[in-house]
Amino acid sequence: MPRGVRILRAVSLSHRLLGLIPLSFLHLRNVCVDFPIYQGSSRSLKKALLATSTHGNLGRDALDRINIRALSDVSIDIVNGDRAGLVGLNGAGKTTLLKVLAGVYEPSEGRLVASGSVSSLLDTQVGLNADATGHENIILRGMYMGIHPREMRERAPEVAAFTELGHYLDMPVRTYSAGMMIRLAFAISTCIPPDILIMDEWLTAGDAQFLEKAQRRIEDFVRGSSILVLASHSTELVERWCNRGILLHHGHVLSMGPIKEVITAYRRLIDPTLQEAPPQMAAVG
Amino acid sequence: MYLETVSGETSRIAELPEPPSRAALAATDLIEGIRKSWLWTTLAQQDVKLRYRGSILGPFWQTLTTAVMIGGMGLIYAELFHTELYDYLPMLTVGLIFWMFIAGMITEGCGTFVGVQGVIQQVRLPFSLHAYRLVYRNLLLLAHNFVIIPIVLLIFPHPINWFRLIELVPGLILILVTGLWVSVLLGMISARFRDVPPIVASIVQVVFFMTPVMWPLGALGPNAWWAQLNPLFAAIDVLRGPLLGQPTAKYSWAILATMTVLGCLGAFAFFARFRSRIAFWV
Repeated sequence: MPRGVRILRAVSLSHRLLGLIPLSFLHLRNVCVDFPIYQGSSRSLKKALLATSTHGNLGRDALDRINIRALSDVSIDIVNGDRAGLVGLNGAGKTTLLKVLAGVYEPSEGRLVASGSVSSLLDTQVGLNADATGHENIILRGMYMGIHPREMRERAPEVAAFTELGHYLDMPVRTYSAGMMIRLAFAISTCIPPDILIMDEWLTAGDAQFLEKAQRRIEDFVRGSSILVLASHSTELVERWCNRGILLHHGHVLSMGPIKEVITAYRRLIDPTLQEAPPQMAAVG
Repeated sequence: MYLETVSGETSRIAELPEPPSRAALAATDLIEGIRKSWLWTTLAQQDVKLRYRGSILGPFWQTLTTAVMIGGMGLIYAELFHTELYDYLPMLTVGLIFWMFIAGMITEGCGTFVGVQGVIQQVRLPFSLHAYRLVYRNLLLLAHNFVIIPIVLLIFPHPINWFRLIELVPGLILILVTGLWVSVLLGMISARFRDVPPIVASIVQVVFFMTPVMWPLGALGPNAWWAQLNPLFAAIDVLRGPLLGQPTAKYSWAILATMTVLGCLGAFAFFARFRSRIAFWV
């Protein structure tokens, strides 16, 4: 899909004076994702060929292929200015949904329409060469995001400043700590404000000072008609960063709406004994 | 994943438009890949640089290795086959350098997608981009090795028909296109079935000895026809013929062209059908 192609739509009169604004959105309808789990002999062409030439039961045995439905019948609309927080237990399908939104996985069933440039922070490592320095990696990761090295070189000083890594940027990234990697990856991925920013929970491993800085940057561009989708276990962080929530459970959307309500539903899911209005001190996790 | 122009309020969209067909998506993927040529050319150049990082000669280390191999093999095999070094060495040089190019694309083609698993899992890029990068990287390596050919031809001069050198262009284009479909097809099959790369590697090794690279086609005598049917021989022959001023074998062009066209059709059908599964396979 041609990312970055912007769809323009007419807006209300007050805004019309300013012209057309770019519209970014993610629409999902009845999206299902089936994960084929290949293990052992299902990875073997020889076994597969032999299996097709033998009969029924034996064939299934030789090809021990299991399909897991990671997402089931998911319908979501995320539009301009939404900061959607994705919560759910381990294995609920959060990362799979992020990957679908990022365009990495195509849905097995259902439809997905997206508009706007997407920047995904699913992994700190992608596009980074462990032996290259921080400065070199800024250019490198930028390339995978579709930014030409020429343009990236202009933005590099600003990225370097945001990371606050200073002289560490002259060292190979293999010497970096997890927190430093996160700073670098985040700074690069957000150096050009994307229309849609998709982040997995590793971001929360950053320190408090960095998280605050990151939040300010995200608030800045979400105000400018962008979308944030964030998956996290930290209900506190999601509550602070997001205005909408999506609760996933076993691949289904369990609840969706204002973040506070979704968090409440999530807490009830973790601890069913909680009452409708949970006490302030309700411990989570 | 696709894009549609939507008018009116988005919140009122109840039904999303039909997604395009698989073939259309596959074609889009191929075109998007070409559009991102700056990315795969840069990445391929980097691949070559990184491979020889830390060595003084850089990528020309590869050239030296090839030169040493050709020199060693040339001296011994010319003796074994009782042929003149004057005839044998140019044939071996040109043949071996193109063989390394073609075999390189086949064996590396098994890793087209598995080799960049981290990228495929995290970033949306056209899948074809990885195949373009692979073919271009091998073309760069060929360019480094190619330096040897004029040197050998100067030492052992052969009458060159300069006009025929034009044949190298269509020959190389056909081989590059073939390299592209092979890397897409093998890349997908190897991503799904992990025992394919070693199988391919052994087949390539066996075929090397069955292809007239180290030995002249004429050595087979009246049985030379079956060696001519070998598509890898055809690919080497259309490039070697013009460079050595020898006639191209009768069917080489036809075999190479047929292989390119049929391969493209087959690989495209396969790519269209299973493209969306690649992210799950790697």
